[in-house]
Amino acid sequence: MKNRKITEKAVTITAAIGSVLIMVAVIANTYWASRQAISSTNQAVSAVSAFYLESMADRHARTITNLINNNFDYMEKAVRVIDEDDIESQDELRDAIGRMKTLLSLNRFALVDEDNIVYTQYTTYTGGSRHAFLADETLDDRVISTVFRYGSSKELCLAIPIDVKIMGKQFKACFVQIDINDIVNLLAFDDEESTHFALYSANGGNISQTELGPLIGTGNIFDATEGNVSGQKWDSFRNDFANEERGTLTFTINGIVDTIYYEPVPDTGWELVVMIRESVIQDQIQEISEKSLATNRRQIFSLLVIASVFSGIIFYMLRRSARERLDEEKENSKAFKSMANTDSMTGVRNKHAYMEAEAQYNSRIREGSVDNLALVVCDINGLKYVNDTKGHAAGDQLIKDASALICDMFSHGSVFRTGGDEFVVLLQDKGYDTREEVINAFNRKVEENISKNEVVVSIGYSTLQPEDEQLHDIFERADHLMYDRKKELKSMGARTREFDEEQS
Amino acid sequence: MSQKKNNIFRKFLILVISLVVALASSGYSADTGTAAEDSESAVDFEHSLDDYVPAKKKYNFYFTYKIVHPWWDAVALGMEDAQKKYLEKGIVITYEYMAPDAASYEDQIKRLSEAEKGDYDVIGVDVADEEKISAVLDEMVDAGYKVMTFSSSDASADCKRIAYVGNTHNYQDGADLTQALCEKLEYKGKVGILVGSYGAPCHEDRAKGAKDTIAKYPNMEIAAVEYDMDSIDKAHELAVKMLKDNPDIAGFVCCNMSNPVGTARAVTELGSKAVIVGMDHDQEALRYLRDGVIYCLGVQDCYSIGFDTIQVAVKIADGNLPGDLFPDKTDESTTIIYQEDAAPMLEVLYGDVSQ
Repeated sequence: MKNRKITEKAVTITAAIGSVLIMVAVIANTYWASRQAISSTNQAVSAVSAFYLESMADRHARTITNLINNNFDYMEKAVRVIDEDDIESQDELRDAIGRMKTLLSLNRFALVDEDNIVYTQYTTYTGGSRHAFLADETLDDRVISTVFRYGSSKELCLAIPIDVKIMGKQFKACFVQIDINDIVNLLAFDDEESTHFALYSANGGNISQTELGPLIGTGNIFDATEGNVSGQKWDSFRNDFANEERGTLTFTINGIVDTIYYEPVPDTGWELVVMIRESVIQDQIQEISEKSLATNRRQIFSLLVIASVFSGIIFYMLRRSARERLDEEKENSKAFKSMANTDSMTGVRNKHAYMEAEAQYNSRIREGSVDNLALVVCDINGLKYVNDTKGHAAGDQLIKDASALICDMFSHGSVFRTGGDEFVVLLQDKGYDTREEVINAFNRKVEENISKNEVVVSIGYSTLQPEDEQLHDIFERADHLMYDRKKELKSMGARTREFDEEQS
Repeated sequence: MSQKKNNIFRKFLILVISLVVALASSGYSADTGTAAEDSESAVDFEHSLDDYVPAKKKYNFYFTYKIVHPWWDAVALGMEDAQKKYLEKGIVITYEYMAPDAASYEDQIKRLSEAEKGDYDVIGVDVADEEKISAVLDEMVDAGYKVMTFSSSDASADCKRIAYVGNTHNYQDGADLTQALCEKLEYKGKVGILVGSYGAPCHEDRAKGAKDTIAKYPNMEIAAVEYDMDSIDKAHELAVKMLKDNPDIAGFVCCNMSNPVGTARAVTELGSKAVIVGMDHDQEALRYLRDGVIYCLGVQDCYSIGFDTIQVAVKIADGNLPGDLFPDKTDESTTIIYQEDAAPMLEVLYGDVSQ
């Protein structure tokens, strides 16, 4: 597989595309999450609404049941009290009925004698045709019935059989009639105008005359919903009313979907229907949705800001890291190069450096671009002797001393260590111009060192001649001269390996 | 709130209808047909007491009427409304409102006799038999009792009773219903007449109005006249008999509340095409009207009869006589309604739940 070089531009583009993709992914994810949140909210609101409706219907139905039971209990108590009174006249009976009515907060409280004569606080009347529960000669059990009075007002009639004698007459029943409007007011007390409710008879007629929302109104609920739900659902709805069952019905009128919950009111034959006001649900959904959307917008904005800042930081860090790595690479390269061209012992350039320099000089010589060039070949005298007699540490020190001497003396030249005891100095410009003085001074110094038993270096030098084709030509001439000098120094008492070996 | 609005709306409708009626009767309106609004104006449930200030804080009355029957239950509701409104003013009104299970002048005389023993400010009578009861009432007045008549039947014209509140145009009601029937039958054919109780002035007057109207048209004849004694079952039985005896009977005039119900049942049962006109607001009769079995019904304003009866009784109890405070006869209206008026009338009287 071919390795391609990754450029900074490629990294930048990749990072930019990556950042955009991440941001798109984040925004898409947030959008999806917000949609999910809205959907979940709607479901939750529907569930809560259904629960709310069911709870309200149940509470309302229980309120009516409690009202009925309380009235039955009150009637029993009232009859007991009246029976215990020694009532002898109709006026006394009326007073007693009025007293009980007030004490127990009973509506239209009345007693009925065996001739179906009804006694109330203010009137006494023949009631056979007026009260349906009197159609039977005897009353065996409690009766709960809905009375549709002339004038369209409706009342809930609760009657109980009694067996008391008052004024010498046998009384057979006692009853109260509660105006449906009073029941409606009772139910509406905790309604807070947030829901619609209405009481219906088994045939769908609105008993309470309360408006079940603007769509159904106060009309017959079967008529209002017919055609707005499937025939099967509508039939089931009607059957539930007929069989005093509870349930829900969702219908659409004029494009608006509404759900009602219906709950039978025990023993009355009524169905209590509740429907939360549409505006309440809408307001709740809208409020929750707006909050959710606002939160999501803030989230998106925050994520964008964070992603942008984070991307910027990553870019900055990447660039900085890349630059640092580049600089490090350069430094390493330099160091490696330096290490490759430097003699580790003396610190001067090594043979590899000399060869590079030689190649460059050869090229320039061939081009004829070099005017003045001198080459000095240096060789340390007595290195082997020192190594053999004083050890390699002393030998190394001798090499270092030699190098230091050469570098000090040829301060304007390029010094290379080309072998164990060999150095080459290239002189150009000022070094070239001052070569004679420097070489003479060097030689004098070396000669002085012989007697001091310090470092002795034999040198020979040559300059570039017109016929020279390469640096080595100069080297060879300088090398011969160096050997001549070595012999000369030997003669002065300096140690040399070559000549020592020749002697031995 | 909603009920209050309905009440205001109802009052407004009554006002509008009254104006329309006034305009029609003065010749401004060419439309003599029956509007659906008739059902709204036939019965006035919105009453308030007049400006009369009662002299006492407590009154006790005795009322007796012909028969235990839903028609008088409607009158009773108007009376109770007035009683409550007096109570709101701090005036306590107590009363008895009694009737026998079957119409009987003997029973009525007996009840009046018992009432004389009670401590009543006024005794009110719905006359069961004009001839028999009027004399009794005269004796009571002579004895110092304050006696009035009310609801469907007044006493005889020369009776000494103090005042009458109720239908004063029973003859005309019978005539108007029969006229509608004759028009429908295109002034030809046999007609059966059902009446309520023998001697009951309201029933007899309506029957007389019906007979006189039919007599105007040579191609019409009365097939039979029968009395159901205010019993639906009896009315049904009589109507079946009439239809069987006269299969070509073209129509029925029903003079009381039970007549049209029994007759409609018979017509439906036998599949007859006979046209029925009748009286009053019985719920079953209204349903027959809605369904087209009954052609038209004369609806009396029972509620107003009851309300005004109490108001007049209070004034009589205070020693007032007919004049500026109240007339000798307080007339209450009768409205003829047709099929298109049945549903709203059922709504007004009984609520849609019963439809």
